[in-house]
Amino acid sequence: MALTAGPSKAPGILSDIGFGRVFAVGAMVLVAVAVQSTVLARLTLLGVIPQLILVVVVSLAYTDGPRVGVTAGFFGGLLQDLLLPQSIVGLTALVYTLIGYAVGNLRQFAPNESVWMPVFAVAFASAVAEASYALLAIMLGQQWVSLTFTAKVAGLVVLYNTLLTPFAYPLVRRVADKFRPERVYRW
Amino acid sequence: MYRRAGRGRLLLLAFVALSIVVITLDFRQGDNGPLERAKEISSAIVTPIQRGLTAVFRPVGNFFSSVSELSSLRSENHELQASVESLQSEITEAKSLLNENARLRDLLDLDEAYPTLERVTATVISNAPANYKWAVTIDRGSADGITDDMPVIDPNGLVGKTTDVYAHTATVLLLIDPQACAKSRVVGTGFTGGVCGNGAQHALSLEFIDTDADVEVNDQVVTAGYDDGIFPSNIPVGQIVSVTGEEAASQQTIEVDPWVDFTALDFVQVIIERQARVTTEKVK
Repeated sequence: MALTAGPSKAPGILSDIGFGRVFAVGAMVLVAVAVQSTVLARLTLLGVIPQLILVVVVSLAYTDGPRVGVTAGFFGGLLQDLLLPQSIVGLTALVYTLIGYAVGNLRQFAPNESVWMPVFAVAFASAVAEASYALLAIMLGQQWVSLTFTAKVAGLVVLYNTLLTPFAYPLVRRVADKFRPERVYRW
Repeated sequence: MYRRAGRGRLLLLAFVALSIVVITLDFRQGDNGPLERAKEISSAIVTPIQRGLTAVFRPVGNFFSSVSELSSLRSENHELQASVESLQSEITEAKSLLNENARLRDLLDLDEAYPTLERVTATVISNAPANYKWAVTIDRGSADGITDDMPVIDPNGLVGKTTDVYAHTATVLLLIDPQACAKSRVVGTGFTGGVCGNGAQHALSLEFIDTDADVEVNDQVVTAGYDDGIFPSNIPVGQIVSVTGEEAASQQTIEVDPWVDFTALDFVQVIIERQARVTTEKVK
């Protein structure tokens, strides 16, 4: 399979990504952070805020592969961390980076053009992200609420994120398609 | 294929390493580390978008809730008109009492009561975008005289304290956050303790109180401004809703239901005037 990303002029990790694409991915992550902290923070499901940033990270990883997934995951997670007072900065970044990589690499095993795959990917990624964030935060000594509360939050986040995917994923995909450099083959 | 996957792995390693560096920095840094700068920058980038979204969507949310209340509005209007008139006279009375109170407090060298302290009114522009952190961002900052650890109230009582303060925005750690505590006093008894958050949907807990403290359900809890606590005294906090485990005197669990509705904070006030304390050596 010749799936190289076009003729890269300068060899480098980000060489073939292009400014337009960096801008588009950055804008999507920013908007996700802003929407999650305003509109969605009020439109809670039984008091739980959906993690739109994660939905966008998974959508990007699913459409554009591990490199975009990892980058969006890191910066999206870091931005979320930086906006929280008295939390461990870098923890969400770490979790979302790993999620972006996993989704980006596992999507090649998904049946082509399946409408349900992104939804499953988001549901599964949300469960993993919620569990690993809680686990790491407790391990690192963050003051934590009860585990039953954590389980309830995780369950509701999975549900709410999954419900958001049919709206968020097509949007992310359309923007990503527009800014993808030519001559990149997709699986 | 191989090449792409390989590069993905390289990026993964780079960002994982970077995350771990950031986490380490976060644990080590003091109040002025590089992450504080990063926080300030990211807040400056996101805030304008948040402001826009809040300005657009909050009226929509309020509209939906007010449509359902339309029928009761007319009768409510009449009642309010009547109460405005009676309140007007009470205000005049209260003002003269306030003056007298201030004069007497001066004479007695007492702390100022919190309603007379200077404050700044702020609009809530966003909530913490996470489920394990209870905080809001307000549209006032150091340019308005706000600094770290200032008390934040709303008309119902204690909301929390300021934490990350930037030029034109500040973050308020809500009292329901597990990392928030306020020195408090049970009205009518002499008992003081700390009211601490347990996350949303859970009552606040009154901790560090005398193990044989004789408190009852429905007792009022207000802030206690002793020592170097940051809250002035007598800000309403909530009401005791349950007292359990009195038999085992070492472990008394007291639950406090807060007055403030933390799910619908639109406007808050930051008390920016520090009290001049006569009783403590350390002024915070």
